[in-house]
Amino acid sequence: MDKSNPIQESLAAHCNGWHDFSGPMESILSLSDVTYRHQVRDTSTWKPWVKRDGAGIHSIDLEIKKGVILGLIGPNGAGKTTLLRVISGIFTHDGNIDKSIETRRSNIGHMPEQVRWEGRSTVAETLTAMSLMHGSGGDVNKLLKRVGLSSRSDLILDNLSQGMRQRLSLACALLGDPKILVMDEPLNGLDPLAQRAFCNLLKQLASKGVAIIISSHQVAEMADLVDRIALLHHGQLLIEGTINSVKDALGLDADEVDLVDMICAATGIDPDDVSMDLSEDSMLPFKRLGVEEE
Amino acid sequence: MSQLFDLSKAIMNERIRAGRMMVIWPLLAMFILFSTWGLSDPKANLPSGLVIDSAYDVMYASTAFIIFSATMGAVLVSFDGISRDRISGVLEVKLSQPINRKVLARSMVIGHWAAIAIPVIVLNILSLLIIWYRMNSVPNLDELFIHFLANCLLLLWYTSIQLLASSWARDMGSSMAVGLGTWMIFTLLWLVLTTLVAGLMGIEIADLTSPEYLRIEAIVDLFSPNGVYHHMLEWPLAESGRHIHPGMTSLAAIIWSLLPVYLFTSRMAKLTP
Repeated sequence: MDKSNPIQESLAAHCNGWHDFSGPMESILSLSDVTYRHQVRDTSTWKPWVKRDGAGIHSIDLEIKKGVILGLIGPNGAGKTTLLRVISGIFTHDGNIDKSIETRRSNIGHMPEQVRWEGRSTVAETLTAMSLMHGSGGDVNKLLKRVGLSSRSDLILDNLSQGMRQRLSLACALLGDPKILVMDEPLNGLDPLAQRAFCNLLKQLASKGVAIIISSHQVAEMADLVDRIALLHHGQLLIEGTINSVKDALGLDADEVDLVDMICAATGIDPDDVSMDLSEDSMLPFKRLGVEEE
Repeated sequence: MSQLFDLSKAIMNERIRAGRMMVIWPLLAMFILFSTWGLSDPKANLPSGLVIDSAYDVMYASTAFIIFSATMGAVLVSFDGISRDRISGVLEVKLSQPINRKVLARSMVIGHWAAIAIPVIVLNILSLLIIWYRMNSVPNLDELFIHFLANCLLLLWYTSIQLLASSWARDMGSSMAVGLGTWMIFTLLWLVLTTLVAGLMGIEIADLTSPEYLRIEAIVDLFSPNGVYHHMLEWPLAESGRHIHPGMTSLAAIIWSLLPVYLFTSRMAKLTP
């Protein structure tokens, strides 16, 4: 890594400063120095029960604000899903989050990537079972209507299309009127019309004060939807802010930038040098892990 | 309590309508009803000098078939109770809900158990009608209570073991292997293990009806759900020849009821997708 890279210096300065951001929106979740390492099997020993720290997220500082749509952007393996699971209270983490796991599970709606709902239960029965797990006792029919599944409530799960499955996952995430909605690649597998409907619904929810966190590796598809973006790479949060402020900090002046431009600007890699060898783009701009990476 | 009951009911409904029940129902019906029909025939010529002269004897003898069919049914219902949800991504949705993980685990055990226990109970009631029709008598209430209790507990043990195994499995293949493997150990291979233990203890294994061998077999059976099941069923019999104190059997039944459920509940508390 070139430590004297001016872009990186500017980036580091920007990232140090983003904590001071005090917009008009109220903060509803604050992450400070949050770390999670996946436990992976240690193949270097004959003991199958031995595990070691693998990839994960490292020292993440992030503030979630009411009514703001935050896009988590990063390449495969950047830690987007891990961060979302930590936020939702599925993974227990090191570091500080200002709400307990129980509070987060009650107030955060979690929508995983492409859930394959299957079985002979109907849509309504499945959502009812989930509402029992949530303990919200909400109106299932109202929720089905909200996600456009009211006419399909009697369909069995095996007969659902991918778009309908996504809608059911969204309905599960909306149980109990969550204050924060966490969505992992929600637009994957949706046709453009469904994507537009999805985005409209999310904007509508955000206007009512729901904070939304969406992960994606597509910058372009997020541009019209999100208020802010957070760029993740190798488990680290490189930069967070509005798209324009991030572009300014990275020295990108094109109207449309993609993930590769951002990662390369942040890490100092020449886009022409990006290769299939993962070690080639493993440079981290301003944090060293001090431990062996997977 | 209401959440536990409602969720258990929802899980039971989901499992009882699964496609695999189309296989399990006929399997159970053939094993339980046909065996009862055959064993309650006064002219039946049974192997090993087995004598059946009461309604309970028929029910006791038919448990040899229940051991195969009902436990296999429990395996088929529960072997992918967690792993299927893990593969499809549904587990992540469930784990993100604010429900207490212990309540979720218990409702899964109860729901899966009920999905196989209800067909077995219904078929056992039908087999009682067959016995009444063929022998013009039915077991007394004590015998019926022990028979139904033992069946329900056996299915609970297999269900909780399968769910525990399913929580470890990361794919359907290993889930199936662990499920069938445990079933085979307790159902088919236990005799081999028993003779091995008897042989190591210096007991003559040429005669499997000797008092020494029966004693060892009775003790080894306490470590198997099928063995404890048969110990319980032997309570109403005048002479079983195995001389295990009912207290020991009860203790083993309690341990088999609590330990796998406890392990599964603990596992669920820290389960990740």
